[in-house]
Amino acid sequence: MKLFMSAIAVATAMIATQASAQDVADLNDVEMAHVAYTADNIDIRYAHLALALSSNPDVHEFANTMIRDHTAVNEAALGLLDKLGATAQDNFFSQALNENAEKIIDDLSKLRGAEFDEAYAANELAYHQTVNELVENTLIPNIDNDEVRALFQQGLEIFRVHEGHAEMMVSALNG
Amino acid sequence: MTELISRRKIMIGAVTSLTALACRADGARKPKTHVVKIRSFTFEPAHLQVQSGDSVRWINEDLAPHTATAEEFGWDTGELANGASAEVEVSDGMETTYFCAFHPHMKGSFEII
Repeated sequence: MKLFMSAIAVATAMIATQASAQDVADLNDVEMAHVAYTADNIDIRYAHLALALSSNPDVHEFANTMIRDHTAVNEAALGLLDKLGATAQDNFFSQALNENAEKIIDDLSKLRGAEFDEAYAANELAYHQTVNELVENTLIPNIDNDEVRALFQQGLEIFRVHEGHAEMMVSALNG
Repeated sequence: MTELISRRKIMIGAVTSLTALACRADGARKPKTHVVKIRSFTFEPAHLQVQSGDSVRWINEDLAPHTATAEEFGWDTGELANGASAEVEVSDGMETTYFCAFHPHMKGSFEII
């Protein structure tokens, strides 16, 4: 378990170190939209893995909420981009996020039972903490379009609630 | 004198009739619809005073889907997507505390008076 937790910590750190904050801040609005869409999809993938591998009802409930909420944010993002006549643009940071996610999914997939539940909860907490910090301090201050910024702010409000839920889940599973 | 008494009786009768009418009107009070908006993961207002026969309508203004679900699951709005609304009619004895089934820290209540 300790080894796996280290993997999460390293993967989380990689998200922050593969690019400087300035590199990410320099992305344009449609690239930032792609980062957010990618981050949402990654958490949806983690949730589907939890539904497949966990038998804990509380973990299932949390995972279903992640799927429901992140899907709603992504649908809103696609709707806004469509309205603005824009398309989300792939970029180095979206690719880094996906690479890190592949590694985490690979590690999580090897676990079962309580070990999986604890690792999934710890990863959800670490992931939301990292992404929320990025959205709040790097992405939102550098978005040009008011409507795109408002959508990111709505998304951040949701992800902060998720972070709180993940914190409670970690405490409950380790208690 | 007789005329005065008659007028007084008429006046008393008229006041009695008006009071009765007022009572009937009160007894047949038109049911109200109370609106609760869901914003930023809170029910606004979080507490309501309602009467049996009234309805409570929840409108979800958040991006995230929510529900209003009775604590003991006696009633439920079902999933409310962004912009969606649902109504529940108030009846005596129904559960009056509720939460969001998706985000259980969100709580609300009403009092039947």
